[in-house]
Amino acid sequence: MAASGDYSPETFAALLELLTPFNKTGVDLKPETRFSEDLNFDSLVVMEFVATVEDRFDISVPMNMLPDITTIAQLAVAVEKIVKG
Amino acid sequence: MAGIFDRFANVKTQRAAIVSNGGPDPFNVRMDQVLSQTEAIIGNRRTILCGTNNSLGLTFAPEALKAAHDALDDFGTGTTGSRMLNGTYSGHKELEYALCDFFQKDHAIVFSTGFLANAGVLSTLMGPGDYIIMDADCHASIYDGVRQSQAEIIRFKHNDAADLDKRLARLADKPGNKLIVIEGIYSMLGDKAPLAEIVAIKKKYANTYLLSDEAHSMGVLGRYGRGLPEEVGCEEDVDFIVGTFSKSVGTVGGFVVSSYPDFEMLRYVCRAYIFTASLPPSVVASAKVNLGLVKNGGALRTRLMRNAKMLHKGLVDAGLKVASDISPVVAVVAPDPQTCVAFWQGLIEAGVYVNLAFPPATPHGYSLLRCSLCAAHTEEQIKQVIGIFTEVAGKLGLLEETKRVAVG
Repeated sequence: MAASGDYSPETFAALLELLTPFNKTGVDLKPETRFSEDLNFDSLVVMEFVATVEDRFDISVPMNMLPDITTIAQLAVAVEKIVKG
Repeated sequence: MAGIFDRFANVKTQRAAIVSNGGPDPFNVRMDQVLSQTEAIIGNRRTILCGTNNSLGLTFAPEALKAAHDALDDFGTGTTGSRMLNGTYSGHKELEYALCDFFQKDHAIVFSTGFLANAGVLSTLMGPGDYIIMDADCHASIYDGVRQSQAEIIRFKHNDAADLDKRLARLADKPGNKLIVIEGIYSMLGDKAPLAEIVAIKKKYANTYLLSDEAHSMGVLGRYGRGLPEEVGCEEDVDFIVGTFSKSVGTVGGFVVSSYPDFEMLRYVCRAYIFTASLPPSVVASAKVNLGLVKNGGALRTRLMRNAKMLHKGLVDAGLKVASDISPVVAVVAPDPQTCVAFWQGLIEAGVYVNLAFPPATPHGYSLLRCSLCAAHTEEQIKQVIGIFTEVAGKLGLLEETKRVAVG
């Protein structure tokens, strides 16, 4: 499992900023907001969004991790884990 | 009542929407007679085939037909077993020797399809602690293969060598092996990988290997048809080449070639090799003959590219939006899926078969009419295809729209 644990408010804020252009339905973005169910992301949008996250944090998010990342909070934890190496 | 197929409700709705206008069904095309490499009877109509992968037109090569007939008589209709057990006949070994000779590599392993070659090799070559760095636009068989692998999977942006470099740099201090996976020509838009740059990047990093899927470029690129590595002149630097017999070679089957001394070990670990019935002797015999025709097919390659240029230019000049560069794949973009279906229906009713392709199988969310050319297309046939495209696009109002955009 990739994502349980804490993350910094800075990481969360950065993810919100990146998510805004992808939030087509104007959903209120909370830590527990789900990419697939709440934001209607399909596989192509996921890929595009992950690419922006990778660029912003200068990381590679392995494809194997994606199935375990369903919420913004889980993504924040995963990003910090990858950044720390 | 919840049924086991309820989760496909979305697919069902989309499927129904595509044929809701009552026209011909793009997912139910039946060729009742195949008249030649470039013509078939579809729905009682003589139809120009402009959406096959028969790039060199070898499906009716007399030498290959003869070899297949002889093999049928001598070895029967099927092997009824896997390569590992009772499914390796002399023909399978001869085909592997022919592949070594064709690609100038030391080893070749023949699989039952190209899909299985990718799935088999990519699921086993890299293990825990290793990394696969793949182009995001790679084929479904590559995705399925790497998903079954124990390695960590990282995608780089399509044909973006700088992005690949960045991702390899992030992994530079990790101990595992790294395998870069690309395709020589990508199927939807016919675009080539920036191979020279990718090879230069590969050489910067330790324990880094390169696998190229030459499914669409074999027979098409290079003086002897060995694909993009031959054209670019870096065959030594491509560690593994995967390919198929179902496109330019005109039969069916897949393979992997390499000069690594222990490459043969893959025979003992690839489940897609061990647990699949081997190719029928007739298929193997015709593939071997056609490999020779591919190698010496310089004249066919010239005709193929002439045809590609002619169709590309004709469609662009007519005012259609073409997303591909000059290549044996000519991809016409429709504004939306509904118009794309109507366009496709107009073409098939006028006697032209092309492929209909939608996202997520297409890049950039394109709805595409994907044409693919054959060396055996005549100039007359291509003129007809251009004429019919122009007529159908005109009826749908697509030419005017394109011109308006171009002017504005």
